[in-house]
Amino acid sequence: MNTEHESMEVDVLFVGGGPAGLAGAIRLMQKAAETGMNLEVAVIEKGAEIGAHSLSGAIMNPIALKELIPDFASQGCPIETTVRDDEFYFLTADRALRVPMTPSYLENQGYAVISLSRFCRWLAEIAEGMGVSILPGFAGKEVLYDPQTSAVIGVRTGDKGVGKDGTPRGNYEPGVDILAKVTVFGEGARGSLTKELTRKLHIQGLMPEVFETGIREVIELPEDHYFTTSFGNDLHFLGYPLGLDIPGGGFIYEMKDNQIALGYLTALSYSDPSLDPYEAFIRFKRHPFVSRIIAGGKVIEQGARTVSVGGWHTMPQLAVDGGLLVGAGAAIHHAPALKGIHTGMKSGMLAAETIHTALELGDFSQKTLGRYPEMLKESWLGRELYEGRNFSAALAKKMPARFIHLAAQYLNAGKGIRDMLPLEADCKTLKPAKGGIPDTLDSKCYDGVLVVDKLTGVYLSKTLHREDQPSHIVVGDPEICITRCYDMYRSPCTRFCPGNVYEIHVDEVTSRRELKLNPSNCLHCKTCDIKDPFGNVTWTCPEGGDGPGYRRG
Amino acid sequence: MNIIVLLKQVPSTETMIQIAGDGRSVKTDDVSWIISPYDEFAVEEALRIKEKQKGGIVTIVSVGGAKAAEAIRTALAMGADKGILVNDPATAGCDGLGIARILSTVVQSLPFDLIIAGQRAVDDENFLVGAAVAEFLKIPFMSLVIQEEIADGKITCHRTIEGGTAVVSSPLPALFTTQRGLNEPRYTSLPGVMKAKKKPLDIKTLTDLGLDPAIAATPLMQVISLKFPEKRKAGKIIDGATLADKAAMLAKVLHEEAKVI
Ligand SMILES: Cc1cc2nc3c(=O)[nH]c(=O)nc-3n(C[C@H](O)[C@H](O)[C@H](O)COP(=O)(O)OP(=O)(O)OC[C@H]3O[C@@H](n4cnc5c(N)ncnc54)[C@H](O)[C@@H]3O)c2cc1C
Repeated sequence: MNTEHESMEVDVLFVGGGPAGLAGAIRLMQKAAETGMNLEVAVIEKGAEIGAHSLSGAIMNPIALKELIPDFASQGCPIETTVRDDEFYFLTADRALRVPMTPSYLENQGYAVISLSRFCRWLAEIAEGMGVSILPGFAGKEVLYDPQTSAVIGVRTGDKGVGKDGTPRGNYEPGVDILAKVTVFGEGARGSLTKELTRKLHIQGLMPEVFETGIREVIELPEDHYFTTSFGNDLHFLGYPLGLDIPGGGFIYEMKDNQIALGYLTALSYSDPSLDPYEAFIRFKRHPFVSRIIAGGKVIEQGARTVSVGGWHTMPQLAVDGGLLVGAGAAIHHAPALKGIHTGMKSGMLAAETIHTALELGDFSQKTLGRYPEMLKESWLGRELYEGRNFSAALAKKMPARFIHLAAQYLNAGKGIRDMLPLEADCKTLKPAKGGIPDTLDSKCYDGVLVVDKLTGVYLSKTLHREDQPSHIVVGDPEICITRCYDMYRSPCTRFCPGNVYEIHVDEVTSRRELKLNPSNCLHCKTCDIKDPFGNVTWTCPEGGDGPGYRRG
Repeated sequence: MNIIVLLKQVPSTETMIQIAGDGRSVKTDDVSWIISPYDEFAVEEALRIKEKQKGGIVTIVSVGGAKAAEAIRTALAMGADKGILVNDPATAGCDGLGIARILSTVVQSLPFDLIIAGQRAVDDENFLVGAAVAEFLKIPFMSLVIQEEIADGKITCHRTIEGGTAVVSSPLPALFTTQRGLNEPRYTSLPGVMKAKKKPLDIKTLTDLGLDPAIAATPLMQVISLKFPEKRKAGKIIDGATLADKAAMLAKVLHEEAKVI
């Protein structure tokens, strides 16, 4: 299709309306107001509204928010509850052992439990009030470079109204080239443009990024529930069902109105191709201790999203000519504390301060923008990230080596036994399947109310994609799926995808296998793009506005 | 040509509806909002008429809370020219007739040749407002339109009726309501969204319109209660080794449990 793309100029463009991008946009407007600068700032977001694609726990360390909006409480910041106390459990198959001491990183007393969807909607309102153009329903589809210098000059948004076969429909609306002096990428874990950009400009981190997939629900409980009498309202769980060799674990946080957030994270460094993170999540929910807490409840929302947990050594170069990377998309995450919201926000704010300087100097080259990583290093954020630098690598070790590494890191400010403990990319860790794939959970365990299967979960995520559009999940060579990948790993995509996007069908007559995609189920978690052992799957943004419709994500 | 579109913001059709504590309304705190789909057809059709006539003004009129301004902005981003929102807390308890009276008061203060409305709002499903506004304004009314044409001061509309279509015609000004199939609404474009921010959107109260809130917003009809449909009981799967076994079992169940044979 040969189309004209209109172009539109702004001073600064933020790609992604998550906490990182929104905090950055607000900070930039604050700096502009202080210095009497008149700026055109835009935030594009692929979700139909801000927050629609935000999925987190979440316990927020308020340190960055206090710096950004000191009077956040009186500005109506939507806080669910405040953490009273932490409870930390080790689960065996049928018991829960309370760990007497919570690791200091997980001491969350006084922190805020938030719904990231609600929090982002609130940030967006504040940003809009300051004059930022908040543009939900527009996905960045392509990075625009200066053909001579390779400097980033903006982003092209996705076309709308294209049919499945790629031809324009009656209401076709071509994407727009948004040109900016500085483009800030805040796409969250495994950003599709960030991935393209870091590869093209060769700015990946020292080690490959590593991820965990989190599945998380909001459950409505009866009036009288665990948290009405409990000490802690911030529960973390290790052990069952993943055991100790695969990093991951569960959480339950108290929200308001008798609701809780319950989630389970599975590290994508797992090696057993039969593993299904969704089933791990269900097993966690069905653990006797957990089922007692959630008894009588009803799932009112479900979602899935990956987290980039590798931290410091996996961070790409954060500044290039005309562009900056912020938040989880740049692996900016405090791994030991399981927190990426305050780190994302702070990175966005530091990026904004650098952009403000660049605007004053009229220079948007890497030389000026490079102040951002410098500032980051010197801030509390840099110290925090640096301390957690070897954490994920230690977690990736098997017991007991893992424990020894962690203990050493705990005692010597993150250095551990060996600095720069190496990491392996998640797409490389699968081992060939041994024979068939073991039986999955009995479908009778799904009651449709408190324990729901993948498809009901998709329904509860309010995910919607216009059917008549080209698949946004691009499978390079479908032949690999039904031959090499099936033979070696028994099609792990059919298990690691929490939305049932991937199915392998066997033709009854020819008994030929075929990959069937259901891209309309996609939760935008990006697990497939990360874990596919053949690098055969590329996740791209579908039509802007499509995807999950989280309200309490 | 001056075209007026009556538009309502409603909970998105994907929203999981929960009945509020009063048993008569719907919880709105976690709802995402959209333009009622039939009203979106109305906006699209108005824009197409304007484009075809090579000129005109499309004005969006709505009654709703402060959030409803977002729905009007979306219509402005699609290409409408200006918006008027009646935002008055007194309208919260209004019935369909009351809303129609308010809308027609707004319309009366504007020049208009054509009014387009959705056949119904997908939340209350009253099928009432369009017809009542036409009645208040004493202009012709055509419902469920899937095609229209304007020529020589007249509008010709194709209406869906059971098993077919009827072609009707009336002089302008007139009011028609939309039916699925009329058009495929356009997307809001990025430049459109940017332009919409600068288009006029007036917010008015009932007093601004010269209406007495105590009278204009007092409903003649009240919602007493809202109920979900009865949950369907789970089906029963007939088991059996052979087809004959299953058939025998089915006959037995139909006779003994369902008591239908
Ligand atoms: C299950 C789970 C539990 C977690 N728990 C916690 C916790 O308790 N505390 C904590 O601090 N952190 C937690 N995190 C991590 C935290 O949520 C993330 O680190 C944080 O959201 C990162 O913020 P961000 O702005 O960088 O990215 P995101 O929040 O991912 O936001 C990125 C936004 O950009 C949009 N976007 C992406 N690509 C494009 C594009 N090309 N065009 C337009 N828009 C685009 C996305 O739709 C999204 O809205 C958790 C994460 C998960 C998954």
